[in-house]
Amino acid sequence: MVPVRSVSVTPSSLTPSDLLWIIEHREERCTLCGNCTAVCPKGAIRLAHMRKRLPKLDVFSKKRGNEYQTFTGIRQETEQSKLCIGCGMCSMVCPNEAITPVAGTNENRTLFFENRKGEPMKRGGRRNATGPTLLDRIIFDRISMLTDPALDAGRHEFSVTTTLGRVLSPEEFLEKSVSGGWIPPTREIFPFVIGSMSFGALSPNMWLGLLQGVAYCNEVLGIPVVMCTGEGGCPPWVLRSRFLKYIILQIASGYFGWDEIIRAIPEMKCNPAAIEVKYGQGAKPGDGGLLMWHKVSKLIARLRGVPEGVDLPSPPVHQTLYSIEESVMKMLQTLSMAFEHKVPVYPKISASTSAKSVLNNLVRNPYAAGLMIDGIDGGTGAAYNVSMDATGHPIASCVRDCYLDLAKQGKQNEIPIFAAGGIGKNGNIAQNGMAMIMLGASGVHIGKYMMQAAAGCLGNEKNRCNVCNLGICPKGITSQNPKLYRRLDPDKVAERVAEVFMSINTEIKKIMAPLGRSQSLPIGMSDAIGIADKAAAERLQIKYTC
Amino acid sequence: MATTVVKGLNEKGERISSMEFEKLVRQAAASSSDLLLESYGQHNIGIRLQREDGLNITVKGPSGQRLGCMGMPGTTIVCEGSTSDDVGYLNIGAEIAILGDATNGACNAMANGKVFIGGSIGARGLTMTKWNPEHEKPELWVLGSTGDSFAEFNCGGIAVVCGIKPKNPDNILGYRPCVGMVGGTIYFRGKTDNSYPKTNAKVTQPNEAQWQWLTENIVGFLNKIRQPELLEMLTRRDEWQVLMPITPQERALMFAGPMPMAEFRNEHWNKEFGGDPLRDLAPGLDRSNIGVIVSGDLRRKKPYWANCESAAPCTYYCPVHIPTVDRLRLIREGRIEEAYQLILRYTPLPASVCGAVCPNLCVENCSRMGVDTAIDAQLLGQAVNIFEPPQVAESTGKKVAIIGGGPAGMNVAWQLALSGIEAHIFEQDDKIGGKLAQVIPWERLSQAIWDREIARFLATPNIKVSCNVTMTKEKFAELHKEYDYIVIAVGTHTPRRLQFPGNEKVLAALDFLKKAKSPKPLPVGREVVVIGAGNVGCDVACEAYRLGAEKVTLVDIQKPLAFGKEKAAAEALGAQFRWPVLTKEVTDEGLITNTGELIAAQTVIISIGDVPALSFLPESVETVTVGGAAWISTDKAHITSDSKVLAVGDVERPGLATNALGAGKTAAEFIIAKSKGQEWKPFDKQVIPQKALTITHYIPMDTGTSEQDQADRCLSCASCRDCHLCETICPTGAISRQDILTSTHDDNRSLTTSYEYVSDDEKCIACGFCADTCPCGIWTMNAF
Repeated sequence: MVPVRSVSVTPSSLTPSDLLWIIEHREERCTLCGNCTAVCPKGAIRLAHMRKRLPKLDVFSKKRGNEYQTFTGIRQETEQSKLCIGCGMCSMVCPNEAITPVAGTNENRTLFFENRKGEPMKRGGRRNATGPTLLDRIIFDRISMLTDPALDAGRHEFSVTTTLGRVLSPEEFLEKSVSGGWIPPTREIFPFVIGSMSFGALSPNMWLGLLQGVAYCNEVLGIPVVMCTGEGGCPPWVLRSRFLKYIILQIASGYFGWDEIIRAIPEMKCNPAAIEVKYGQGAKPGDGGLLMWHKVSKLIARLRGVPEGVDLPSPPVHQTLYSIEESVMKMLQTLSMAFEHKVPVYPKISASTSAKSVLNNLVRNPYAAGLMIDGIDGGTGAAYNVSMDATGHPIASCVRDCYLDLAKQGKQNEIPIFAAGGIGKNGNIAQNGMAMIMLGASGVHIGKYMMQAAAGCLGNEKNRCNVCNLGICPKGITSQNPKLYRRLDPDKVAERVAEVFMSINTEIKKIMAPLGRSQSLPIGMSDAIGIADKAAAERLQIKYTC
Repeated sequence: MATTVVKGLNEKGERISSMEFEKLVRQAAASSSDLLLESYGQHNIGIRLQREDGLNITVKGPSGQRLGCMGMPGTTIVCEGSTSDDVGYLNIGAEIAILGDATNGACNAMANGKVFIGGSIGARGLTMTKWNPEHEKPELWVLGSTGDSFAEFNCGGIAVVCGIKPKNPDNILGYRPCVGMVGGTIYFRGKTDNSYPKTNAKVTQPNEAQWQWLTENIVGFLNKIRQPELLEMLTRRDEWQVLMPITPQERALMFAGPMPMAEFRNEHWNKEFGGDPLRDLAPGLDRSNIGVIVSGDLRRKKPYWANCESAAPCTYYCPVHIPTVDRLRLIREGRIEEAYQLILRYTPLPASVCGAVCPNLCVENCSRMGVDTAIDAQLLGQAVNIFEPPQVAESTGKKVAIIGGGPAGMNVAWQLALSGIEAHIFEQDDKIGGKLAQVIPWERLSQAIWDREIARFLATPNIKVSCNVTMTKEKFAELHKEYDYIVIAVGTHTPRRLQFPGNEKVLAALDFLKKAKSPKPLPVGREVVVIGAGNVGCDVACEAYRLGAEKVTLVDIQKPLAFGKEKAAAEALGAQFRWPVLTKEVTDEGLITNTGELIAAQTVIISIGDVPALSFLPESVETVTVGGAAWISTDKAHITSDSKVLAVGDVERPGLATNALGAGKTAAEFIIAKSKGQEWKPFDKQVIPQKALTITHYIPMDTGTSEQDQADRCLSCASCRDCHLCETICPTGAISRQDILTSTHDDNRSLTTSYEYVSDDEKCIACGFCADTCPCGIWTMNAF
């Protein structure tokens, strides 16, 4: 029998200083209001009653004994399932700045135990790699100073849209125009697209808040922003609304929600912006969606056409496709035909050393409206940590290689490449996006940045929060629990979306104006960028600037 | 003074440069305050010209760019036609009247002075104006309209745009006026495209002061441009509007979008869907905004007062499940009599067993050990010795035969008797009590206490005892017919022996101890060896010393299992423990080990356990053979393969006296439940986890010597101690204590409380402080 007084330790016993996030609580400031323990998404903190022994240590007194003092404080759990995630909601609700999580400076012992029940660490977020990204280090160094008229971003009229869709060569275009042949559909869209985040990965309030903001950008601000649904389908009322034209519908290996989409086709008021066929994503190449049962609510189950409360892992590849050629034939043609060849259809792949082969294949296929490449720094709602941290390819050189390859064939204006994965990772959204565009992308997709900017996502690359997979998002962004997602006001999300795009719109102009350019995006204008890194400059074939 | 004329063409009729023209004008102004400039497109006319008595300049002919640039106070310029770009550029006080139009950049960076335009102006008028508080604000009056980008970064300039014969009647202020405007006022009359940035400027109606200023000053403007007849048309207040800058403070509170999001949602978003866009997928889904600190149904967890739903360690680990925690609570509540009644409902032998022979498993896991030392259970047991038995229930007419009057059989009888079932004990010996009576030395179990408890037992109605009954198959069959149930509680009374040479010289511990406790104990030698160093071996050693032995050695083939009081007593008397020792043979000299060593002894006693004697057992009762002996197999309710026959105590498997008492109680409860036609429910509470308790509320102290001391020290695990700490700590005042009505006739009254603590859902924010504070582990937070 183990004596009550004994302290048992197990191989995974941890002390607070072993943890990634350490709760600092200042007892003298604490008002014992209970807000912090009430809000904590992990149950990581509790009210602790502590007893202090004060021995009577007066050497001149013969009386011996102790006095005891009890006091309270907020203390953190060290049990793996309840570890602090550093979200900081406790500080947010503390009326007196008495509590805050701080990043542990010790080695992170908890990582050694993130494999209970033999299940490797899974999380949301993106690659936990901090510091400036390659894109952050690119500067726009071609400034027109009195040589050609510099433009004023605030006053001049700019056209900053990009083309999504296949652009025929002039000869071909003329020939088709004359013969009445099929001219592939294109869209003029804002080059920053809200990337695929599914209805399910995101809460209803987040997803609809984003779409409301996108609608506002289009209809009030005149910024033609589009967003991609992700693979969770699209609410039927949205499919039948005029807002569908701001939506890229994604079809992925899980095929969730496509019955509702097909059912809605005859009743659609307009065409969707495009169809994205997902073959891979940057955050977890080789993995499909990993929506876990916590998040498969009644609503999500209904929309996706699955039972409630089950795990929904999507296969890494489309089950009936065996090669690029077959995929392109089957899916691009089918989806193009489904919308009478009036909607651009393009594939999305994980950035990879093999991206060029895919692209070269698409060049030969008239149904391919573009290629979307998602790099290693892309975010996700749920992935194995090892996939997120160590699997994939950075986006910059991958897109650059593809673009230069197109340029070699003289096709760079015909098939747009969209880039994603870590755009705006450190907040430099327009700079990152424009650097990517000058490297050769026609536009970028931004997901994680939107969660952070539009809804206050607390996650970061020091593994803060990153519990999107568990459905306990303290901001209500990635939770399917109404008690959590009702914290998020869709109006406020929409406002932030509008603010973000107004601001990106201005920053694009601030970047383009010094180039003396106002009427077309500087796609592939790599003579305007430089980097103070010789190896990177050489690899990307841009200027080494120091 | 006469007007001085300066010509812009030289004698040859050629245009002179702006530099030369400016020199000539400056010379002329030095001597004349009235100049007529017949300019020919020269720039910067009137730049920094000033006379103390004032200077009037009339410009005839084409004027170049920047007319009146850097104009000084006191200088008046009248341009009789139209003028070019940047009229009034950097003006700091000149009054400039243009009877025709002005092109782009009028009044750029003007800080003081007035510019009157009799026509319209081009783009970027009134940009970058300044206002020095030492001076008047600069003014720009335009009879017609302005071009695009009007009043950008306007800081001090007052503009009046009258909208008479505008260049574009649909938009008299041009595209995007007021970008970056931070000061000044723009009065305008006529249509606009509303393209001013809503975060920089706002449109209002002129207020009283503004209207008064406008009507007072417009007369002068119209005179300057020589069109006084327009006064009536331009003084209709409802035709005028004013653009005012928005302060940074106001802007900080604004959403930057040109339409409030709520308006977009109501007028555009919701209308397109005709309702919530998820109403088909999730009818009635409420997605409205809530805060993060919530009460009621919006909480993710909620507190639950789980009083007495788990077992305290004392209750749980006691084989009889005696609720010591409740007894101590009753003592704290002053319900002393009920406290004793409660214990006697569990055991007829609290003083003899709990208070003497039992190793007190109850307190081996006592939570109080986290503070100092366990509750003194022995003290509590002894305290019950003088107390009278509880009231027995009315007779049910049922009767049960109990074979064997040891602790197991006694508790069967006691429980049945209290429930009104006749219990008839058939005992082989001449007294009841089994081994407690027969073999436990009086040193460990006081005879006075024992006799009193036996007397209390025998005096209890419904209990019949027949001693000296030898059970046989035939007798058993009779009982089987006669009684509703038979409970076999014969214990183990056949000593186990080993077959080594000389084993016939060895005494069995059971026989030795029985005799030792009788008036005629067996004699012992000076040196005694006991084979088997368990607790019974220790009792043997003690008795041997009492009966005259001088040296007792206990040998065992493994580390001795003896523990507790028995071992301590034997050691205190000088007993030696030796192990591992294998016995090779026993001779008259003593015990010879397998290594050939002789341990000298005149008396050798073997104490390696006893086995049941079951010759009376019918074939309907199945046994299992373990260690060469047959034991009766039973289920959880102690029922044998014969559903009318139960077996309890050592006859199932060897155990402590307390195990026997516990088995007896369980079996009796089964019989009682059956006889009442009720379902039998075994004890099934989970033990409360230590971490559920908050033990830091208690401070270390001495164990104490009274029941009251123990009651005070008890942590009251899983049983509310009514301390009000939860009520006190609750930050929202959600928890309150409420009385509940209980029936005074309820048998379980002692086990329940007359109050409960309740958390008000509407006040509770689910902080969990109650659960974190509760010393007893009653409050739990449940997800919901």
